[in-house]
Amino acid sequence: MSDGEYDYLIKFLALGDSGVGKTSFLYQYTDGHFNNKFITTVGIDFRERRVIYNSTGPDGTTGRGQKIHLQLWDTAGQERFRSLTTAFFRDAMGFLLLFDLTNEQSFLNVRNWMSQLQIHAYCENPDVVLCGNKCDLSDQRAVSQEEARELAEKYGITYFETSAASGQNVSEAVDVLLDLIMKRMERCVDKSWIPDGTVRANGPSNLDLSEGSDRGKCAC
Amino acid sequence: MAGEIWQKIGEGFVQEYYNQFDNTNRMAIANLYSPNACLTWEGSAFQGKEAIANKLASLPFKMIKHIITKQDFQPTIDSCILIMVFGQLKADDDPPMAFHQVFMLKSQNGGWACTNDVFRLGVHNIPV
Repeated sequence: MSDGEYDYLIKFLALGDSGVGKTSFLYQYTDGHFNNKFITTVGIDFRERRVIYNSTGPDGTTGRGQKIHLQLWDTAGQERFRSLTTAFFRDAMGFLLLFDLTNEQSFLNVRNWMSQLQIHAYCENPDVVLCGNKCDLSDQRAVSQEEARELAEKYGITYFETSAASGQNVSEAVDVLLDLIMKRMERCVDKSWIPDGTVRANGPSNLDLSEGSDRGKCAC
Repeated sequence: MAGEIWQKIGEGFVQEYYNQFDNTNRMAIANLYSPNACLTWEGSAFQGKEAIANKLASLPFKMIKHIITKQDFQPTIDSCILIMVFGQLKADDDPPMAFHQVFMLKSQNGGWACTNDVFRLGVHNIPV
């Protein structure tokens, strides 16, 4: 799966206050384990993973699995040194918004992150999955599941309680976000809403097209 | 070139600067700057030792550690010292990041003070 062939390149961005666990969350998703070591390689700001997305057609049939190349971008803590600019949000198609269940301020700041997204993302209602991270630290919990759910409902977004340490709900959260993106793409006849360079049809040759449905293919 | 006087002064400054930055109240770092010093921090400009110290003290992390990889020094034609520092920093639990920092030192009132300071993170493949 490490070849250059894929149907879509999709960029996700992990957002949230410093210290909520964005880097560990992405590390857990792409490498399958929790990294609490000092990483000596600097300058790697995104992680990648290939997934197969199986869309379900209007008639209930399952289409050809689509090869998705997921790029998961991390702020890597740069927000401590400079404010994140418009360009930072613009290129992402989906957003993983994390807060720390043991840190109430990081939960209160979810509102600020949501308004930043509404201003700077490619559209006013981008696909967002809210993750209350560090749910393994139950004895230090400062945010209840109810209040987090309530906030997610207010914004009409999905909520997960995740743990980058144990892996709980990490892939589930990313899968839901990918599903939202793919559904949005299928809904869109006019693909002009897609930010430049975020989705790229790279894989299917004419041969591929002839053997399966081309529904959902991006024309750009 | 090793052991030149400007190099010794430069090394002393760099050591003192990051010691103060990492280990003490960052407001005290104001003492290393000249009264009208200029700082360009990630493209944002600050002038005056107080404005600079306020900016550095307000950076949102509890702990920071700088590790210097390499440093270079040059004397200028007007008897100042130009310094380039290349290293890594680690703030709280974030992954380490590369940084570059350039200083200009000027001899004032029998001591050396920083008149110019330019800082950038070494983050390349990320939208800014």
